[in-house]
Amino acid sequence: MKKTLLTLSLLGGLVTSASYAQDVEAFRDAVTSGSATWEEIQARAKEEGEINLYYWGGSDQINIWMDRFAAPGLEAEGVKLNPVRITGTKDAVDLVLAELGSGKGLGEGSVDAIWVNGENFATLKRQNALFGAFADKLPNSANIEWNADDPRALLNLRDFGVETNASEMPWSGQQYVCSVNTARVAKEDIPSTFADLKGYLEANPGKFAYVKPPHFIGNTFVQAAIYAHNPDGNGAVPFQNSIDDLGAAELARLITPGMEYLKELDGLLLGASGSGARYPEDPSALNGLFLNGEIDFSCQFGLYGVAIGLRDGTYPEGAEQFIFPEGNMIKNKNYLVIPANAPNPAAALVMANYMASVEAQASKLEVAGMPPGIDPWRLSEEDVAKLTAASPGFVGITQQELDANTAPDTNATLVDVIEATWLEYIERKSTDPIDVIVERAVANLN
Amino acid sequence: MGDSAPNELARLRRERRLMLLQLLPVVLVLTVLFGGALVLGVMQSLGFAPWFGVNTFPDFSYFGVLWSQASFWQSLWLTLYYAVAATILSLILGILLALALVRTFPSKTLYKYLYKLPLMIPYTVGIALAVIMLGNGGMLSRLMAFAGLIDDPAQFPQILKTHMGWGIIAVYVWKQTPFVALTIYAVLLGVGRETEEAAAILGANKRQIFFLVTLPQILPGIISSTLIIFAFNIGAFEAPFILGGGFPDTLPVVAWRYFNDADYTLQLQGMATVVSIALIAGGILYSYLAIYRRYERRIGRQ
Repeated sequence: MKKTLLTLSLLGGLVTSASYAQDVEAFRDAVTSGSATWEEIQARAKEEGEINLYYWGGSDQINIWMDRFAAPGLEAEGVKLNPVRITGTKDAVDLVLAELGSGKGLGEGSVDAIWVNGENFATLKRQNALFGAFADKLPNSANIEWNADDPRALLNLRDFGVETNASEMPWSGQQYVCSVNTARVAKEDIPSTFADLKGYLEANPGKFAYVKPPHFIGNTFVQAAIYAHNPDGNGAVPFQNSIDDLGAAELARLITPGMEYLKELDGLLLGASGSGARYPEDPSALNGLFLNGEIDFSCQFGLYGVAIGLRDGTYPEGAEQFIFPEGNMIKNKNYLVIPANAPNPAAALVMANYMASVEAQASKLEVAGMPPGIDPWRLSEEDVAKLTAASPGFVGITQQELDANTAPDTNATLVDVIEATWLEYIERKSTDPIDVIVERAVANLN
Repeated sequence: MGDSAPNELARLRRERRLMLLQLLPVVLVLTVLFGGALVLGVMQSLGFAPWFGVNTFPDFSYFGVLWSQASFWQSLWLTLYYAVAATILSLILGILLALALVRTFPSKTLYKYLYKLPLMIPYTVGIALAVIMLGNGGMLSRLMAFAGLIDDPAQFPQILKTHMGWGIIAVYVWKQTPFVALTIYAVLLGVGRETEEAAAILGANKRQIFFLVTLPQILPGIISSTLIIFAFNIGAFEAPFILGGGFPDTLPVVAWRYFNDADYTLQLQGMATVVSIALIAGGILYSYLAIYRRYERRIGRQ
């Protein structure tokens, strides 16, 4: 006779050390209050040994820069960079929030830093998932303007209108620019205003598309159109307020002309003559359409996109950038944020400091074409020269033209409402008036 | 004789215990992983998500909002259209292929390996192939532009990314025809050709042989294979996401868009979409099986 014995045993081998939690929290408080010395941070970072940086991995050039420049640069500081490439920044934000929700606090999560801006930062802030004020307390913080009296500091102090409180390190500055292949489009036909664009599409239907909101590249196009059609004629100014300050009715009034324009444009976009306008899902799909000649203009963030594309041979020889829309080319910064449950907070600080160095910024600019996030007026002439030498250069436009046509981003609380309105009014072809749609979107979001 | 009965009883008990042990792993996986996720999903769709600061359980408003949108019904129609069209096409092609395979023809051995190739290639690769070959920037359009048939690759007729779903259906059929053929071919081999030959000798023509003899015999294979591919097609995400025509999307893509929105409360709406897909797919598959069971009872199979 055989006896069957089955024993199921669950071993809870999890030893939580209360003293560790206290220690790491004391470290955080010392950093955010400014009492921790840089040597202490460095020593602790060497003990931690590694840092998990989560970032959008859709660009080969950025990935190459991470592996060939950032990783060895941090190796020299005694920290191993572990780049985690994700398809959407929201995935990393979700992970942080899920781990926080399951009780994993500082030192216990899996994300040390995220490349982030806009709504994703606003979400982290709203959910109290930030490490705290660190970005103005590192040695290389000197490369960044933190003085609120200087209007140029705005991009460091506010991310889509949300106060950063130094809880994220500015990493790169971008501007929304459009590209054209001059071999296909005559110079005099290149639009510089939204009215020009519509005129061009009436003559050449289907030769334009923009990325589908809620992708931020698409949202930015929508915002630029709304600024340009602001009935008060003051562009981006009212859109710096939060939805609570502005109110749904006022927002509806301000965005109506822009939305009407986009609705008219919808009938002239790629695929509109067939089964309805086809909005590409992301910038790489948009780029594919542009390079294949399916559309004539491609608008996205990427000041050096054309220069890098020409250098690598991915862009056709006639590719150029142009100023569009006049006076409303949205400019913003993107940042490196440390979440509240970073497993290696000291290593994350060392990484953030490295990323804000002139050397890292210059090689990133040269290899990946990512514009610097540090502020040139804070640098020595020598360092400015380094950055200038590293710049791939503009094609068809100048820095002066870019500076003359700059517009700020929209407040993050308005972005959600505008995006919901676009989905309802343009994509779902709702027949409700815009003020009703905006009213509903505001109610849903609160 | 006196103690053989208790021995027999003990043996039966042992066997029973052994059988339960064999079933245990699958039952555990189904109840804990699948069942647990299902319960959580249904609860979330009814307003239980304290981790986002939402807890209004039980709350049917997420379903109410979803089902009152015209776009939900458009999406449902598209989802069903792609799933049914692909299933029917795969079934017809699969039966033809299986019937051909039981006959002998030159290089049959090679062909028998060749037709199974799509079974081993993942869907994503099939989708990538469709993009590379059939897209407006694809090989065909470039070759046509090169040959001067069209001025510009952009003028190539739109096959992918339309609501007609040619691309989606093509990928499904490409992948699922061999699957149907394989299932039905196995049934055909088990049945043998004797009944067909008998019918032929008794004077039945080809049509009559197929509909009156072969079809009833392979019906179990047809039912099980269509069940599996339809269930996959209705819940599939990648093909309609990459090859679909944009808004209105199929339901799994709609659910993904809700999950992917920066606004976390929309995840509950997404969960309601997922539960709706499960309800609809479950309802259709259940009725399909019920009709088939009735048919089987009518013809005297049990």
